[in-house]
Amino acid sequence: MTNCESNRESIGSWLDGELSPGESESVRLHLAGCAACSEVRRQLESLNLALKNQLTANAAEIEFLPFWRGVQQRINQKRPWHEEFLERCRELFSAPRMAWSVPAVIALVLALASIDFYLPGWRLGGPRNNFATVDSIDAHGRSVALLRENESKTTVIWLYQDQEGENEAAEDATKSGPAF
Amino acid sequence: MELSDWELVKQCQAGETSAFQELVSRYHQKVFMVSLGLLRNREDALDVAQETFFRAYRKINSFQGDSSFYTWIYRIAVNISIDAQRRQKRNPLEFRESMDGVLESQNEVAKDPFTDAHDRELREHLTQAINELTPEHKAVIVLRTLEGMSYKDIGQILGCSEGTVMSRLHYARKKLQDKLSVFL
Repeated sequence: MTNCESNRESIGSWLDGELSPGESESVRLHLAGCAACSEVRRQLESLNLALKNQLTANAAEIEFLPFWRGVQQRINQKRPWHEEFLERCRELFSAPRMAWSVPAVIALVLALASIDFYLPGWRLGGPRNNFATVDSIDAHGRSVALLRENESKTTVIWLYQDQEGENEAAEDATKSGPAF
Repeated sequence: MELSDWELVKQCQAGETSAFQELVSRYHQKVFMVSLGLLRNREDALDVAQETFFRAYRKINSFQGDSSFYTWIYRIAVNISIDAQRRQKRNPLEFRESMDGVLESQNEVAKDPFTDAHDRELREHLTQAINELTPEHKAVIVLRTLEGMSYKDIGQILGCSEGTVMSRLHYARKKLQDKLSVFL
């Protein structure tokens, strides 16, 4: 980032009096020797003035008593339960309060994902079994058996064809005739 | 001798409604102005300001003085205003009328026709540019410009750091400057 760019980012804060003495001095010195940044400063001052005029333009005084009566009316009025409920929900789930939920969800997901690592014997829905069979993956009597051993990190995939499947396959081959 | 805000809050917490009335009288105009700056509509701003004090009244017992009362009340007002901005899809025609009223009243004090035309155009473009800001950017601009609040106070009101306030102000001003460069 060039000196001008970094200074331009600080001009607004400098005008607001929010920079440290060292930073303020640095911006002041730069502005004294840079016509382009001085122009940015002038524009910012014009903008601040225009904003102030604009935002205070309709600053009509509001009378206190009618205002207070309106507040009192709300205090004394019993609100319907659904309005109360919605208001509480809005407060509870408004953006700043929801900030905690993002790390909480990430932590929960990580915990669920790592539960198998830290508690290898624990399993939802019954005892752990490292042997699984998948039936007929191609509907022609062929099967796949999968053997996984956690301790030795060994996985064996066993492809086989049972007798029934073999007969069916042979029949199919007879019916379909020679392949060209 | 005038009681401090905190003393009035403690009286409120003890059940003194008159103490709350005094707090409302101190801050109703400022809360209304901030809401008006954010919503740009008088009726909506009045509604938000009254709702702000109603909610403050209901929660006054939970106020422990960790921040100043005005920071607390502004936080409620800004949250309701931002919420209202997001929920309401204001009718453009209605909005136009409300802003025309403001512009007409401003024209009454203008003297030089050239300055008058220039200022009128600037105000129109500025209104449009302000309304195109996100609620968060608009909030920092309004709190800083209207109230001259420190970045620390703005951060407390909006629930963010001073660095975030600085960054939001920078980008909000840059957006406005880009859109209004020919008028500034």
